[in-house]
Amino acid sequence: MREQPLKEVTQLIHAIKVGMVEGSYSITNKTLDIFKYIIMSKSWQNADELMRIVRAQSRIMQAALPQETVTSNIARRILKLTREEFDLLHAKIQHFADDSQASLSLHKLVTQTSESNVSVDYSKPQQGLREALLDHLQEVETELETSSENICVQAEEHIHSSEIILTLGHSRSVENFLKRAIKKRQYLTIIVAECAPSCRGHNLATKLANDKTVDIIVIPDASIFAMMSRVNKVIIGTHSVLANGGLRAACGAYTVALAAKHYSVPVIVLAPMYKLSPLHLCEQDAFNMVGCAEDVIPYDSLPAREAKVYSPMFDYVPPELVTLFISNTGGHAPSYVYRLLTELYHPEDLEI
Amino acid sequence: MPEIVEKGEEFDVVTYFLQLLDNDKDMSSGIAAIKTLLMILEKKQFGTIHILHTTMREAVAAMRNTDLSIAAIVSAGELFCRFITLSLDDKHMEECRQIMLHRGKIFLTKLNNSRQVIAQQAQRFICDGGRILTHSRSRVVLKALITASKNKKSFHVYVTQGGTENSGDEMIKDLKAAGIECTLILDSATGYVMESVDFVMVGAEAVVESGGIINRIGSYTMGLCAREMKKPFYVLAESFKFSRLYPLNQRDLPNEYKYSRKHLNDVAKVHPLVDYTPPAYITLLFTDLGILTPSAVSDELIKLYM
Repeated sequence: MREQPLKEVTQLIHAIKVGMVEGSYSITNKTLDIFKYIIMSKSWQNADELMRIVRAQSRIMQAALPQETVTSNIARRILKLTREEFDLLHAKIQHFADDSQASLSLHKLVTQTSESNVSVDYSKPQQGLREALLDHLQEVETELETSSENICVQAEEHIHSSEIILTLGHSRSVENFLKRAIKKRQYLTIIVAECAPSCRGHNLATKLANDKTVDIIVIPDASIFAMMSRVNKVIIGTHSVLANGGLRAACGAYTVALAAKHYSVPVIVLAPMYKLSPLHLCEQDAFNMVGCAEDVIPYDSLPAREAKVYSPMFDYVPPELVTLFISNTGGHAPSYVYRLLTELYHPEDLEI
Repeated sequence: MPEIVEKGEEFDVVTYFLQLLDNDKDMSSGIAAIKTLLMILEKKQFGTIHILHTTMREAVAAMRNTDLSIAAIVSAGELFCRFITLSLDDKHMEECRQIMLHRGKIFLTKLNNSRQVIAQQAQRFICDGGRILTHSRSRVVLKALITASKNKKSFHVYVTQGGTENSGDEMIKDLKAAGIECTLILDSATGYVMESVDFVMVGAEAVVESGGIINRIGSYTMGLCAREMKKPFYVLAESFKFSRLYPLNQRDLPNEYKYSRKHLNDVAKVHPLVDYTPPAYITLLFTDLGILTPSAVSDELIKLYM
């Protein structure tokens, strides 16, 4: 039987598709609300049923919105939470301490004593699971709410007075990060690459220019390389972070990263934890998305009749080009991302 | 010499070990080594853990002395010895032995399954219509390719001859038998075909602590070429191949890894059999513990040998 989407899920998918909900923060928030609703509803009796519902709904969202990896990420968080809470309650009743790590490891491989791997039976009804889950969900919500602020407070550590910073397009975390830096530091120059064809860089420039104490320079994407030689730091946002520490970021990010590499300029990427996805770059076709071509060449212009016009949305930036990730928990090197992922998600939930 | 009480007939480590490998050509020498060690545990009786330890170490040393490549034997042996010390409790010796035997069997079934697990993980990376370059013959790469072919994917594999032993020929034979399109190329043609392949997929004899690999000679060249042409370099390796070595360069590799036993006395004029590929050239490692970046390997090793 094919799973039917909940009414809330369909609404959210629709809202995202028509652009009513945009930005990964709002999408994550809305998705979390749906899962919270599912947990509160009476439609499940035990952890196994809950996990099945969460998986099914998440799969539907994934199929409908293949680019929005944050929805699956938050589902993985819920699944891990459910497992943990269940194990905890289970352990309390059974009076045995379970110190086994969730992840597979050489150590576990060597010391394993039981035949089967999946020894936990999640279908047993467990008293108090719902309350415990809701309690912990509160923590996840708080983490989500404060993630932007937690990233911002690190601005001072990374941006110093009279530095020249380059950024690309318009990311909300970058906007807040730079605003904080402007407040604390003097004589900053911020170069914003406009990120054609949507030119969201213009928005960022307007928002930052409210403050008169800072120089804002807007440049076309073509001059990124020309400007790079004088830049001290590149600070960009990203759509999601992949398992190897690579980025799926707005188109143009690869150009920026390569130019930065050429001039040995550090590239700092702001990525809150919910953007970390346990995915690898292997299904090339599913990676990118083609946007509206009208902005590149107007449909009624002459060349539009003859030419093929594409406007891809994303760039893959390999981990070697990233110097540092700043997440709400601190700064991490790209090679450390795998470690964060093992802490964040359960290995059995990597494939939803 | 520690005293060992023999049970039943004389048990010769090396003959048993070689017999295992002879009976099943598909068995990795590492698995055979663990099987042999388990057999010793079953056949002999030990008064103390110390005697057990010494016997195990001697057995590993004896197996090292065969003409096989020793990397997997050493790492598997070390893993097994570690496994013995980890199972220690203040129990009676006989009880300990039973626990170890029981655990060992579970351990072995897991290891036997590992190739299948790795092959499964690699599936998403093998795309339809892709071109893959592989080096010489690796059983786990073969398994991954055959599984992909069974999943109705069609792709082309370039196989290098693989040095003096021509094990590439064997690989080609196996691939053809599975109905996979393949081409045998010279080792020196690595650079030539690199521009036309999508990615490189090799096996490994050992994975070292830095996350680099020790593999049949020519792998390093392949890694260098792949890096230069920006092609992903994937390594497929079972987790018992993780070894506690940290080579800094090629010369730093122990001679027993690089040369066959008969040449060990005078290595000035013989070719090395293996080389070391540093982690910087490896994109991802597919292991039965999951898809790891090279830096994750040292994490695994630290977790075990802490």
